[in-house]
Amino acid sequence: IQPPEKPLQSEEWNKLKESFRSPEIFEEVMFNSMVRYNSPIDVAKSLLTHVAKSKGDIEYNLLLKYLALCVQQRQISEIRDVYDILKSRFRILESGAYNLLVKGLSNSDQWKMSLTLLEEVKKIMIPSRTIYESCIKAASRHQEMNLAFELYHEMLSKRLVPTLDVLQALFDFSRGMTNAELEKEMFDILLYLRENQIYPHKTFMRSIKLWFESIPGGKWRGYLTNIKDNGQCPVCNHQLEDSDLTEEEYNNLRERIIRDVIHGTDTFRKTSPQEFQAFQTFVEDRLPFDIVIDGLNVSHIKPRRMQCENLFDAINCLAKGNARLLVLGRKHMLINSPNWRREVMKEMQNKAHFFFAENISEDDAFLLYATLRSGKHCQFVTRDFLRDHKACLSDSLTRHLFRKWQRGHQIAFSPSADGRHINFMPALSYDCVVQTAGDTWHIPYKDNFEEKYSYQVPRKWLCLQQR
Amino acid sequence: MQSANILLKKIVRHSVLPFTAQHGMKKDLFPLSRTLSLSFCLKQDSSGSPSEKLDLDAWKKVMKSGLQEEVNETVSEHKELSALAAAREILDMWRLAGRSVPENISEEQLKTFMECPSKSAKKKYLKFLHLKEIHKKNDKRKIDEKREKRLEAQKQASETDETKKNSLICVWSNTMDKAYSWRAAQSMIFGQPLVFDMSYEKDMSVREVTNAVRQIVFSESCNRRSVDPFHIHFCNLKDDSLYLKEFMKHYREAWSKLLVTVTDQCYTDIFPKNKIVYLTADSPKVMKTFDHDKIYIIGSMVDKSIKKGVSLARAKRLGLETAALPLEKYLLWNSGAKNLTLDQMMHILLTLKDTGDWKKALEFVPKRKYCGFVNKPVHELKKSLNLINTLKFGKRGEEVRTQVTKNYAKKLMQK
Repeated sequence: IQPPEKPLQSEEWNKLKESFRSPEIFEEVMFNSMVRYNSPIDVAKSLLTHVAKSKGDIEYNLLLKYLALCVQQRQISEIRDVYDILKSRFRILESGAYNLLVKGLSNSDQWKMSLTLLEEVKKIMIPSRTIYESCIKAASRHQEMNLAFELYHEMLSKRLVPTLDVLQALFDFSRGMTNAELEKEMFDILLYLRENQIYPHKTFMRSIKLWFESIPGGKWRGYLTNIKDNGQCPVCNHQLEDSDLTEEEYNNLRERIIRDVIHGTDTFRKTSPQEFQAFQTFVEDRLPFDIVIDGLNVSHIKPRRMQCENLFDAINCLAKGNARLLVLGRKHMLINSPNWRREVMKEMQNKAHFFFAENISEDDAFLLYATLRSGKHCQFVTRDFLRDHKACLSDSLTRHLFRKWQRGHQIAFSPSADGRHINFMPALSYDCVVQTAGDTWHIPYKDNFEEKYSYQVPRKWLCLQQR
Repeated sequence: MQSANILLKKIVRHSVLPFTAQHGMKKDLFPLSRTLSLSFCLKQDSSGSPSEKLDLDAWKKVMKSGLQEEVNETVSEHKELSALAAAREILDMWRLAGRSVPENISEEQLKTFMECPSKSAKKKYLKFLHLKEIHKKNDKRKIDEKREKRLEAQKQASETDETKKNSLICVWSNTMDKAYSWRAAQSMIFGQPLVFDMSYEKDMSVREVTNAVRQIVFSESCNRRSVDPFHIHFCNLKDDSLYLKEFMKHYREAWSKLLVTVTDQCYTDIFPKNKIVYLTADSPKVMKTFDHDKIYIIGSMVDKSIKKGVSLARAKRLGLETAALPLEKYLLWNSGAKNLTLDQMMHILLTLKDTGDWKKALEFVPKRKYCGFVNKPVHELKKSLNLINTLKFGKRGEEVRTQVTKNYAKKLMQK
């Protein structure tokens, strides 16, 4: 239903209500559509007056909807009035009301009141991140950067994840300020992006660039660029970090893969203890490998060809330069079948090491183990994104390590132009995260509306250097 | 609180009185506006009403009146709030805000609510309680209605006072029960065993265990009512388990009279290993026929968060044969997981046992999960598919056909 354009008298409201299909929810529906059509506030007021007169009371959810309308139209004095009424009527408010109040007030010159509200919320529950967001934005808009950062840290300590919007606001509003402490805070935000493998979007990247260039006496200059495949920045010739893990991280990751991915809650779910034992001895006897291949996955690259042919091509393609290959497969590949010719299998086994798992075992877990066991140089081939294995890892830190290692060690299949040959894309030789060398910063970013999957890494970079 | 509300309403009414009086007068001054049709009223509003001033902030006065008393009251009433009381209060506010929150919540439920690890978990739990409450209310209403109807019918019957003369003996439910028990007792001596493996407690949440036990209770009852019941075994059922606690809730004293075998032993200790078949949807092997000599095992597990391979792992560990129902072979699967509820499994197995007819048995798979039955065996379907393709593509058909069969074969292989 469309709300009326002008305030109505009680009788007129009554008539409207009678003509409505289900009169018992009339007010609610009407308020909802008022919010949707952004009706003049007077119309809403007249309905409230009507309700107050006929029922002697106004329900909480109607007040809430009215509040939403006021926030939408920035009616500050009305928001305050509603707050007074709510406060006098109810001992506590729930999160929805607080979100609206804080959002409404933080946009006005009474923004300080939103801070008082925040304190009030803290007494009864953990404030939502939108409340913090509004407060931080309000504080930074009024150049109270210390306060803004205090709130920001408080938010992080409560394990709330800040939106990119908040971070961008912090960059936007501290532009041109001279303050060593502030500078450190901003660098910390960039490191936060690094730790959590977050990529800023284009507008955020621009805010970062402008902030850097605005540091008085900093002499920072920013350039947009694409990094070469060898990991060198074309602007400053700086070599980007590689995605190798430290010794400790590497060992940690390997142990976690064995514990969480291969064994999990029950070793029998993915393999069996006997089989895993056999695989371990198999790997130990033949170490180290250079490339580990997920045989079944690779064999499906071209659906029109025989599976063993696909695998054969892939092995030939990767075997160049005396690389030691390990192919993981399942036992059914050994049975002579139209897709798995015995002759071809024989020939392949001369070129690479093969391990055949039981038909009901999961070979991916073995792939990870063999690659990690072989050492840092070892890479693996599969088109699988390994998301389900990543999900088995129990904490986010290890998951990040896994992602980093995966970026640097997974060889992906690349479709060649004529579609006849099998080609492989080498793993990235550099790591795609926010990084610094003191006098330079390199920040990967994504285009605003670019659809980015979690496994894709951005190709565009912001290069910042100090002259 | 109630009295405070009444008091408040009284005060409000008093304060409103002058308004209504005022407006009442105006109504008389503008008799037209009453008879106008609605749309007309809306359109004409601008021309009609400027002379009459609406007090837009009247509601505020209403809301603020009677304020003093209430504030004083509430402050004196509760000075310190315990965590539980605070949670209860927040729930009240959420209900006022129109969220799905139950009206009544017990202390225990409130504690469970507070222990929920995240906001979304809290929301989900509340919604669950809310829906449960609504269902309960509806059920109660229906029962009441039925009772009323029955009373009325009785009344009418007594009025007409018709004495029934019936040569047939009315079979009452307890007679039926006796007959069922007789059969179940027979099955305990001669019947084919069917095992429920009760060893999944730690893989499930409390709610999943509750649901599992509910499903088993359903299964047991439909087994009891069947022509030729299974001899049901609950294996690996530990004395202090949650399963048992839930069973006691359902059966109460009937639990000890239940004609099933309950043991904390494993089925491998009771039956020869080579006769056991573990039924699991993850099994690579597909069941072809129902074997009357085998002992089928059903894992008593409800996994809402599809835990793949848990029961297969159990069978692997014990070195048992496994099997899955041939759902793909007989049904054109639509959507949904291939794991069925325990009572559906029971229905299917009972039907197979009686008739051996897969089509009849698989009627018990929920209709939403499949589009229809595959009415011909798969290889015949493949043949006709080939024929269509040859006709369609002519000479090129040869190539296409191999492609199609290949894809189909691959699909079958994957399953």
